[in-house]
Amino acid sequence: MMNKPDDTFEQQAKATFDESVDKLDAATLSRLNRSRHKALAELQRPRRQWTHWMPATGVAAAVLVAVMMLQSPTAVDDFPAAANVTDMEILLGEDSIEMLEDLEFYSWIDTADMDSDVG
Amino acid sequence: MDVSTAVFAVSCSGTPITGTRALQKERQLNQFLAEVERRALRIAEIGIRDRDEALDLVQDAMIKLVRSYSERSREEWAPLFYRILQNGVRDWHRRQAVRNRIMVWFGKKPSDDNDYDVIAAAPDPIGRAPEEELSNSEAMQSLETAVYDLPSRQREAFMLRMFEGLDVAGTAVAMGCSEGSVKTHYSRAIHTLREQLEEHRPQEYGSQEGK
Repeated sequence: MMNKPDDTFEQQAKATFDESVDKLDAATLSRLNRSRHKALAELQRPRRQWTHWMPATGVAAAVLVAVMMLQSPTAVDDFPAAANVTDMEILLGEDSIEMLEDLEFYSWIDTADMDSDVG
Repeated sequence: MDVSTAVFAVSCSGTPITGTRALQKERQLNQFLAEVERRALRIAEIGIRDRDEALDLVQDAMIKLVRSYSERSREEWAPLFYRILQNGVRDWHRRQAVRNRIMVWFGKKPSDDNDYDVIAAAPDPIGRAPEEELSNSEAMQSLETAVYDLPSRQREAFMLRMFEGLDVAGTAVAMGCSEGSVKTHYSRAIHTLREQLEEHRPQEYGSQEGK
């Protein structure tokens, strides 16, 4: 399943890349090593049984949609555009908490700037 | 992992596997990950221009591969691993786009990708002559910049085929597209890179072709 570069340009590019790989520093290699061992530790963990929660999650989602439609049928039409839904998915992803903490920080900075301007 | 813990290892299906089999699987996975981790890091780093974030993405990809695909055959691991990694890179870009929109909303200037200093992020030298080191760093900087500027799918096809060495079929699995699409993306990437790099650095990337 491996590909061999057959053109001088490709060979040059590959050689340049390989050299950058060979020159990775010790700290980076150490982090990679730790990451690998952390990943291998997953072999010892029982698999999470997400499937047990799927029916409950599906019912909860259906109930939520039904409640939204009953509360305000027009709300369905006003629902944010697809791009905003995507934004929400991203915001509610694994890193969202960290990012929201940052937002509070930036908000505080803004307030602090305004106060200093006033003062 | 010693034998006693290996006995309690479980497979993806949740069923216990024997100690010998668990050890063998762990050894194979360790070997595979050790083989790909450095190239994977550089590929991710070129894709997002941030080494720390790239290290996190590689770790996530390793964990997801082990957690979800450890029972697949050895030959399937590379395309699957890179598919996970490329998804991570794409998600990272999406999060950055959202983050930048929000930063603008708060009146802050989004971080500029061009602030990334490839020379500063370059690894420690390992005993080469300064002139050679500088030349190689410049060549890599030119290549990284040109690859980063490619459209995302062309960048993925180029890095997976050229840097990782996956064939067309493996690249198609990793990118989640057809083999025909891989060929198209790769061909366009090569065409663009050759034009750009020959224009800027003919002594390094183009001069030998005419010989």
